[in-house]
Amino acid sequence: MLQQAIALIFIAVFIWRLFQQKKKKQIGANEFILWLSFWSLGALAIIFIRLIDQVLVRVGFSGSGINFLLYLAVISLFYFVFKLRLKLSKLEKNLTDLVREITLK
Amino acid sequence: MKIICVIPAWNEAKHIIKVINQVKAVVDDVIVIDDHSADNTFELAKSAGAFVLRHPINRGQGASLQTGTDKALKMGADIIVHFDADDQFAATEIIDVVAPIIKNEADIVFGSRFLGKKSNLPFSKKYIILPLGRLLNHILGAHTSDPQSGFRAYTKEVANSFRIENNGMAHCSEILIKLSHSHWRIKEVPITVTYHEYGQKFSGGFRILKDLFISKLGQ
Repeated sequence: MLQQAIALIFIAVFIWRLFQQKKKKQIGANEFILWLSFWSLGALAIIFIRLIDQVLVRVGFSGSGINFLLYLAVISLFYFVFKLRLKLSKLEKNLTDLVREITLK
Repeated sequence: MKIICVIPAWNEAKHIIKVINQVKAVVDDVIVIDDHSADNTFELAKSAGAFVLRHPINRGQGASLQTGTDKALKMGADIIVHFDADDQFAATEIIDVVAPIIKNEADIVFGSRFLGKKSNLPFSKKYIILPLGRLLNHILGAHTSDPQSGFRAYTKEVANSFRIENNGMAHCSEILIKLSHSHWRIKEVPITVTYHEYGQKFSGGFRILKDLFISKLGQ
């Protein structure tokens, strides 16, 4: 119960920061919706952790709900790092094209 | 046939004048791309009589080669030669490298350190790093004897048919793999390499692998 409360406080802080970033126009509407949905789903998963436990047992998993959420979080992190890496390499390519254009002028 | 040599250079003040002077004697024009060196490579290359361009920020050897190749095409090159600025290659061998193109026997010629001529390759490079590189290239479809040859020449038609996309050292494998999958006639000629420094280390090989993987995923 205490662990759930701490996790929810953390999520509340992240959501509060998200609203601040939106207010300062540091993030776009789509990104705001994406992260708000992400943290809201996270909060819901923590609130209904027992229900997730029951569902997991019913579909044949032996681990607890929190383990499942952890696996999900690691997979999500890998995915986001991968997406960032691709975006970074695209930025690098654009930067090189720009540098080349300036150099060849 | 107009032969233009492209030399990417980054902090090569020590060797650049000697390299330009030797290369100038065997080609029509020399283009040096100074990749935002911290030393006076740019000024020295200019004083040696090369056509010098300078990247406003450092972008890597692959990026410099493509910039130089674009410039060479604008200057009317028929054959473009890629050559290193660190005085490892022998400028007189440019004649051997471009010969198959002039004789219309090939469209691309790669210099190889493994075709008879003696090079003072460090042991770990000769027996570990380069064989691994050759294996990787082989898997990716490039079957040349030298997996990381930076000494090459190709026609303007070849230069117009592809772009070097890897900014860093992975460009060597990228060029080999891309051109091996093309319809152009490829030939290898023996070259001599004199190592003054160790150059690319084992970690560099992993970086090449990572860069090739990322660029493949990004396509």
